[in-house]
This record gives sequence, structure tokens and C-alpha cells, in this order.
Amino acid sequence: MPYPISLKINGRNYNVDVAPDRLLVDILRHDLGLTGTKESCSVGVCGACTVLLDGQMVSSCLLPGVLVNGREITTVEGLAQNEELLPIQQAFIDHGGFQCGACTPGQVVAAKALLDEIPHPTEDQIKDWMMGNICRCTGYYKIIESIQAAAAVNP
Amino acid sequence: MLVGRSPVGAAVPRLDGREKVNGSAVYAGDIALPDMLWLKVLRSPYRHARIVSVDTTRAKAAPGVRAVISGKDHPGLLTGRAMRDMPVLCWDKVRYIGDRVAAVAADTKEQADAALELITVEYEELPAVVDALQAMEPGAPLLHDDVTQYKGGDIKALIPEVHNGLSRVSFGKGDLDAGFKEADLTIEHTFRVPSRHTGYIEPHAGVLVIDPDGRVQVWMSSKSPFRARNELAFAVNIPPETVRFNPVLVGGDFGGKGDTSDLPIAYLLAKETGRPIKFIKTYTEELSAGNPSHQSVITIRTGLKRDGRMVARYVRAIHDSGAYGAYKPVAQVAITGVSHGGGSYRIDHTLFEAIHIYTNQVPAGFFRAPGAPQVLFAVESHTDLLAQELGMDPAEFRRRNLVLEGQENAVGHKLTGVRSTEVLEGALAAAGWGTPKPGKHYGRGIAMYDRHIPGGVSGTVLEAREDGAVTILSPVYDQGVGAHTVLRQMVAQELQLPMSSVKVVTGNTDNTPFDPGTGGSRGTNLAGHAVMEAVRLLKEDLAKRAAALLECPEEVVGYSSGQFWIREDPRQSIGIGAIVKRTNNAQPIAVTSNVDVKLKNNITCFAAHVAEVEVDPETGQVKLHRFVTAHDVGTIINPVTHQGQIDGGAIQGIGMALMEELLIEDGRVVTNHLGDYKLPTIADIPELVTVLVDAPDGPTPFGGKAIGEMANVAPAAAIANAIYDAVGVRLFELPFTAERVYRALREKEQRGG
Repeated sequence: MPYPISLKINGRNYNVDVAPDRLLVDILRHDLGLTGTKESCSVGVCGACTVLLDGQMVSSCLLPGVLVNGREITTVEGLAQNEELLPIQQAFIDHGGFQCGACTPGQVVAAKALLDEIPHPTEDQIKDWMMGNICRCTGYYKIIESIQAAAAVNP
Repeated sequence: MLVGRSPVGAAVPRLDGREKVNGSAVYAGDIALPDMLWLKVLRSPYRHARIVSVDTTRAKAAPGVRAVISGKDHPGLLTGRAMRDMPVLCWDKVRYIGDRVAAVAADTKEQADAALELITVEYEELPAVVDALQAMEPGAPLLHDDVTQYKGGDIKALIPEVHNGLSRVSFGKGDLDAGFKEADLTIEHTFRVPSRHTGYIEPHAGVLVIDPDGRVQVWMSSKSPFRARNELAFAVNIPPETVRFNPVLVGGDFGGKGDTSDLPIAYLLAKETGRPIKFIKTYTEELSAGNPSHQSVITIRTGLKRDGRMVARYVRAIHDSGAYGAYKPVAQVAITGVSHGGGSYRIDHTLFEAIHIYTNQVPAGFFRAPGAPQVLFAVESHTDLLAQELGMDPAEFRRRNLVLEGQENAVGHKLTGVRSTEVLEGALAAAGWGTPKPGKHYGRGIAMYDRHIPGGVSGTVLEAREDGAVTILSPVYDQGVGAHTVLRQMVAQELQLPMSSVKVVTGNTDNTPFDPGTGGSRGTNLAGHAVMEAVRLLKEDLAKRAAALLECPEEVVGYSSGQFWIREDPRQSIGIGAIVKRTNNAQPIAVTSNVDVKLKNNITCFAAHVAEVEVDPETGQVKLHRFVTAHDVGTIINPVTHQGQIDGGAIQGIGMALMEELLIEDGRVVTNHLGDYKLPTIADIPELVTVLVDAPDGPTPFGGKAIGEMANVAPAAAIANAIYDAVGVRLFELPFTAERVYRALREKEQRGG
């Protein structure tokens, strides 16, 4: 039986009827058309589906929508404000922190959460935080470079 | 070599950056059409079985289900990237756990999944064989009655005379027997390499709709849209021209994203329901029924002189193709990495052969330099073992055998522009070869690799527009490498236009000429020559129009920076935009190039790696501290994307060495999710040192060389050699997990080593 839930996503309110087993990633991508969030492993280990739930990183492939009723969600589409990219997004472009782009939404969301928590992370802190976001293209070096460049402009 | 502020050579940010960091980039799985249905596939639970009956009655009655089909409804449809030996849906028998048997189209993917459970298939299990060497024994269960009956394969490569034989390819030169007679000693080793998954983050996805006029529209995660279009058409018996592949981004490929995946089934279901069909494979399907690399057993025998010269070599690679050859996109139905059996060395008498065998396992496909990572693990581990046999330093042994300028490599190609020595010495110097190591149980190991830069057929559309800009309408679907950015740089350079005046639009298979897709280290070469030829054609066309407008003969028209002018009187000039406005009613002026870029076997790129590891003698845990990778390069078109290929390639090679293994037990993939199939994470990467050695210009426009498959091939051997240097154990099987190293250490202890 569909169950009505309401979500605040990227500052906007959504009301949607979902089956109890409908996962947040499917609600975002297929019910609401917010396809920026990607799904890859479906078991919560690759980080492609990372979104922020009340500011905390979560794997949206593991969360049934009914469990996040009334909560606030930020996806990759919600990072840029009025078309202006966040410094972390711009840094990924300038430093080649992406290639195919399939993991990039998750990487950028996770990196934003990192810089919110630790404005000037060490390389070890970056590695520790970003361990759950797999990238097959870049070998990670330019992701680290991108995060460091974004951190450098943090106050 | 170009220098200065020119577009070619600049660290130009990629074109697709903004859309990829803000979530607006569109991949196949993001496409949604009205009334779209979800496709899910029922796969075989048996390794080898006859299908007795399929009952879809209950599934058809399930909520949301619009159609259910099985191979019994569509018998005889076969598919493959080159040779078509894989059923679209199995109708008489299944050959591996994961073979497609039936499919459902339903309103939601959950409903489609639920309906799969309601399909009843009666199987009669058959004996199975899950080991390539056993499969070759007469009397082993036979998978295919007659390989020569399949279409699309090269009959000269097929081996019906071998039990469960698929294909054989060979390379070599000289007189092998004479070579071995000349040798002072002959040394042989056998190495084993497990299967690995390419590990792209985007699983295969596709959307297919049949328009009311019969046009088949496709959005698909394929880096080879033209080839995939043809594959679909052949599979379901429709003319290729009726199919149009539309542009989407591809979320990683590494060789594994050229096939049609579930697209032929989507076509059958679209035909039946009249509605658009969408599929997104789960990662479990990717791992257990995708197209991983070939499991290989590689035997290598070398004839050696006491002075350290190699005089003869025989390599035999047995590649386990799994149940089908369908994922190999070449008519030889082969992976040709065995051509590197001689390594980067000159050996006068050689024979290298690769034999591909059918077994009841997941079918294997292409993975970044197909076959070469397997073969180079064997070749460069064996190289160290030969040096050890002679009591020689592994670097010195390589120096004595390296192929040098003007010499023939081990498969008979005479090489020019060779930088083998400089690349090796560059890596050794950066790694501090011969200097004291940082601690106990540290070791260093070398490995080398070289390859040519392939050509092929390609083309592009280039348009001049009324605003004076040009647009590349490209047939290349960028799977991540940044191909469009590099092409844009070339066009900007050649037309002396600012980067902002060169746009790139991905075309479809109707409005662009054929391109095989980026792969095989040929993308920049092939698509690069296609855009350069298009620039030539466009300039020629515009110069004619300029001559008419300027009322002068064509021969006196000059060009620079978007302006055509009369050479004797440069004040009389006209810009690209004005030509478009005045001669074509402001409609774009388009040209189409078609190029056939010749393969130049005599130009190669070299790579040398030095790994520095620390091994825990108690646990066997290997810690890779430092990885040096040296490459000879011509003009680097874009240093950021160039380094990106080195970084990503090296980490894939390091993953192969230390953790990646698609574990298959009795034909069943047991590492069937990304929690169990280990890919390197950001915590696993070593310090990476890149050494770039200047080389004469390569064959791409502006003198570039290949880099895409240079860093991922030889790392495993470098790490194996470093482990030996650290703790004295030699590993003949990948990956070098703590368990495997621990066992080797204990065996060494027992031998009293």
C-alpha cells in the first residue's frame, strides 16, 4: 500500500506516495526525477548515491523513503546556489577530480560534508572521510587535489 | 612539440565539468519516457542445463506486469559484439549461472522483480566444466556443438579441432627450435591470473522505444554506439538503419561497455507492449553475469645465454572465455595481449599463442589492454626470475635485452623513436634503485611494458556558424576520458580560434559518420585525425566561398584566426560568421570527414614502473608505499587528462596486484557485490611518482602518443618483484592478498629458506 510522505529536498517541499519498500534513491531518481544522485552498488559501499540527510552523509540506496518522512535532504542538485557552484564543485572541474562522472555526485556531496565538518583537513583526514566513495577512473589523486584546493579558500 | 599559450598543450578544464559536478549530466539510466516499462531478466541458476519447459502464466497475471517472454517464444536469436554465439534468451539450454532465460516488463522495477519469482522453469541439469584446462580434455562436457556455425567470427581463428575450443591467435618470428638449441639454459614458469571486473561505477543501462513509424530509438551506456546499433540489429533481425542511438554520457567503460547488454530483450518487449522499455542492471548482475576479464593460465619458456641475452621464447596463454565469445569485439574472438609475450625486449626466435576455451562460467570480455595485464604479469615476473638464475641485477638484465632504436621487437616490428632506455633509467632514478631501502622487509621491483598506437576508421561532422564559432558534431560518446575536450583543443589550435569559439555536441548514429568508440589506446589518434580532416575540408569550403565574396581567385585567399583574406591585400577580409550569413542564409555550413588512420606498428610507447613495498613477515600483509611510473610522451594535448589516465590506470593495475579477484566457486561468482569484490579505495593508494620522458612526436595530430593503457598493464609484476625483493617469496598467482603471501612465507620456512 502506498504511504504518503513529505520530504524537503534542496529547500523545496515534496509530497509523494511511496510503497514501504521504495528506497530513497529510487524516490529521488525515478519518482521525482532528481537523477543527479547515482546508484551503483545498491549495498551501501560505493558512495555513488551519497546524499545529506539533515546535513549528515547517508547512502540513499539503503534507506526506505518511509523512514525519512519529514526530513531534510540535500542532493548534488542542491549544492550550487543560484547557478553559482560551490568552491568544492569548481575545484573538481579545475583540478580534474572527475572523469566519467558516475561517482562524482557522491564524491562532491561527501567532500562538501567533509569541509563543513573539517574546513582544513589533512590528507589522512581526507582519505579517512572519503574512503566510502569509490572512483574507478581517477585513481583518487586529483580528487584529493580538488578537496585540498577547495579547503585552501575556506576561511 | 608545441609550447606557449596555444590551446594544444594547455590544462584546459573539461567541457563536461559543470554538468558532472552539479548533477545535470545525463546518462542512460537517467532517461525517462512517458509510459515506460521496467525490464528485468530471469537468469539461469544452473551452470549447464537443458530447458525442458517455461511457464510464465503466473508472472503474466502479477500486478503491474505488461509482458513476459522467454527463449521458448523467441528461439534462435543470437548476439555478440563480433561473433554471435550468445542467445538473446536461451531456448534449448543454458551454459552458465546467469544465462538469460526469460524477461518481464512491468510498471515498476519492484513489480518486474517480483514477477521473475513467478516464472517456473523446468531444467534438466547437464554435466558442467568450469576449468579451461579440464574443458580441453576429450570427454569433458561440451558447451557448443560447432563453433564454426556461428556468424561474425573469423574462421581462420576458430579452433573446432580443440575440445571446447573457441579461438587461437599467435605471434612470433624466427625459428623457435633453433633458438632454443642456441640457448645455454632453458627456463619455464607457469602463472595464474583470476578474473576481474572492469568496475565502472555506472552499471549497464538502456532505454529503447519503437516510434509509430517503426524507428527504433535507443539511449544506451555504450561507448561504441555504431557497433552496438549493428549488434542489436543483427540480434533481432532488423536493418541497422532502422535503429538510432542517441547521445548520453557513459559512466566508465574500461573495455566493458560496448555490448548491447539487455537491449535485444528490450526490443522484443517494446515490440510486444508498444511501450518504451528501460533496464538498469544491478551490480550483482554486473559481477555475476557481466563481462569480466579472462581467467588465464600462462606458461612462459625462455632460452637464455650465460651472458644474459634472451634468444628464444615460447608463451602459451590459455584464456577462459566462459560460456560465450560474444563479449569480444573482434572477429578473431580473441584477446591479443599475448603479442606482448616478449616484453620490451629483443628476442630473435619467438612464438606467442593464446587459446580461448569455452567453460560453464560467466563469459569474459575486454578489459583495458585486453590480455596484456595477464601476460605482462607472467612476462615481467619471469624476467626477474631469469635475472635471478644468472645472479644478475634485474635492472642490468633488462638493460642487456631492451629493444633499442632501429631494432626489431620480439614480434618482428622494427621500431623508431625508441625511448626504452630513457624510460627505464628515468623510473630507476626516481625510485632510488640501488640506494638503501627505508627499512627492514622493504623491497623494490621493476616491470616494463610497451605498445603501439592503433589506427582505424572514424569521421566527424564540423559546422561553421553565423556567430563565427564552429561546432564539432562528434560520433564519440565520451565514457570518461575527456575525448571531447581534447578534440576541441585540436580544432581551436588548427583554426586559431579561442576555445570559447569551438563547441562540441555529441551526435547520434544518423547524423554522424561511423566511429568505433574510444578504446584500444587509439581515441586521440583516431578521433583527432577525424577532426583535423574535417578542419581541412571546412577551410577548403569556406575559402571557396570567401573567394567568391572577395571577388578574387581562390589561390590567393589566406586564413588566420577566423578570418579569410586576400594575401596581397590583407585589408580585404571576411570572417567565418559573415561567410555563413552571406552564402548560406545564416544556416550552419557543415562538412563531414571520413578517415582511415593507418596502424603504425613501428611507433611504440614505453612504460617502466618501480614499486616499493613493505611486507609484514608475520601476517603476509603487503603495503605498497611508493609507485614510480615512467612514460615516454610526444606532445601532451591536455596535461590534466593525460595525468588522469596515468593515475587511474596505475591504481587499476595496483588493484589487480593486491586485491581484485572475481572469485568463482564451481561456476558461481561468489564475490557478487562491491562489498565482496574489492576495488581500490582512496585509502589504498600509494605515493605516486610520474616521470615523463620526452620522445619524438607520435602519430596523433600535433604529435601525441597514447597513454590510456600504459599505466595499468605492468604494475602487478612490479609489485610481485618487489615482494620477492622484500621477503624472498615468489608469487605465481594473483592477487597478492595477505593470505597468499602468508602461505608462501610459511612454505619458504618449511623448505628452510
